[in-house]
Amino acid sequence: MKSFYFKTFQRDSKVYLSRSSSFLGPIVFFLITITLYPLAFGSDEEKLAELSAGIIWISILLANLLSHQFIFNEDFKDGSLDLVLASGKSLFLWASIKIFVNWYFSSLPLIFLSLLTSFMLYLPFDAALILALTLFLGTPILSMFGALAGALTLERGNIVGSSIVIPMCLPALILGILAIQSYKNEELFFYIFLLAAFLFFSIPILIASCLGAIRLHFE
Amino acid sequence: MRQLFNQLISFPYFFKIAQISFPYLFLLSILVILLGVLWGVFFSPVDVTQGEVYRIIYLHVPAASVAQSIYYTMVIASITYLIWRIKMASVFMISMAPLGAIFTFLALFTGAVWGQPTWGTWWVWDARLTSTLILLILYLAIISLFSSFDRRASTDQAVSIVVLIGGINLPIIKLSVEWWNTLHQSASITLSGSSIDNEMLIPLLISIFGFYLYVTAIGMRKMQVEILKREISHNWVKEIFIEKR
Repeated sequence: MKSFYFKTFQRDSKVYLSRSSSFLGPIVFFLITITLYPLAFGSDEEKLAELSAGIIWISILLANLLSHQFIFNEDFKDGSLDLVLASGKSLFLWASIKIFVNWYFSSLPLIFLSLLTSFMLYLPFDAALILALTLFLGTPILSMFGALAGALTLERGNIVGSSIVIPMCLPALILGILAIQSYKNEELFFYIFLLAAFLFFSIPILIASCLGAIRLHFE
Repeated sequence: MRQLFNQLISFPYFFKIAQISFPYLFLLSILVILLGVLWGVFFSPVDVTQGEVYRIIYLHVPAASVAQSIYYTMVIASITYLIWRIKMASVFMISMAPLGAIFTFLALFTGAVWGQPTWGTWWVWDARLTSTLILLILYLAIISLFSSFDRRASTDQAVSIVVLIGGINLPIIKLSVEWWNTLHQSASITLSGSSIDNEMLIPLLISIFGFYLYVTAIGMRKMQVEILKREISHNWVKEIFIEKR
């Protein structure tokens, strides 16, 4: 017999796969934003190489904002959120799975794409690998903050969300960029470990506050 | 002590106390600010390196200090609300957030006016300026949450969650921004002592104290308004305003 959590995982994956806009939307947005930067700043190789890490991070940060509303919103609308709340299952695990599926479909493709686009923006290969590593550690933080914003504004959509998510995510962006900039020397590990610490520190706090935010719609 | 606390968190009692003490507190705060600022501007010595320009410190430092303190008190209030569901805590948060935004803006503005002659630009992307700007954005985001719910209790809970998460995150943001860039002069007044001469320090401290008094007075007034909004249909409100006539 499959457990409740595994079924949640399966069902959510099916929903994401069946609705192309939910995982293609961020990809298209990301590619378009990446294209905008050379068009605006010129195609000078040195200048782009200097900016590329920041360009990719910012584009992923913005692309992430598009997919947050999908995490809890549909369950809220069709009423299955009520059933989950009433079922007595571990909500923490349930919310983690939902956020993980969202990350899997909206951020993971972008991480692989970022490796490809880093060549287009003349980022050195070593730095591109570090970029992918920082994105691996950083994008779950973005997804969790996004889930919190989405959970807070279930009824009203994503108006307030971005103004909350972006300032909160700044440490991830800064640490990621600092790690990429120092990809040749020892300090790299300092920033990578700090980013990992920020990720593991925010998992319990953010998911718990997500649940708090969901509950306030049912009081 | 416990009784006093219980009285202070009851709406009618707080309303009466605020009604009585507001005019005195407000007047006192204006007098103290005037004393501090006038003393600072006309009677304290001229700075050796910066000249007369430094005198804007008597507005800049108090505003920046108040702007940060308001956020920390809001974090305490949010914890209080999330644990004990004390309604006064949410009234406090909702009334203080706009004040915090205003003082953060004032700190940034006076900082820009100060930075123009001393650093040569209105704005630099320095650690402290950046984190103050983020504080302003955070305040504005919190204020924008006020109107995104239909029910009062949802707003209160959402605001307190965001304030709390922001409060946990703010030190992290500050640290990471500091690794990123630093140009601002380091803090001159710390708990262990100060690097400012006494003749400048005393008016500065008076001015900071005056700003805190002012925020207390205005904050109480704003809390009164917020309480009236929530309790307009209750009997005690009618009693207070009918007795007055």
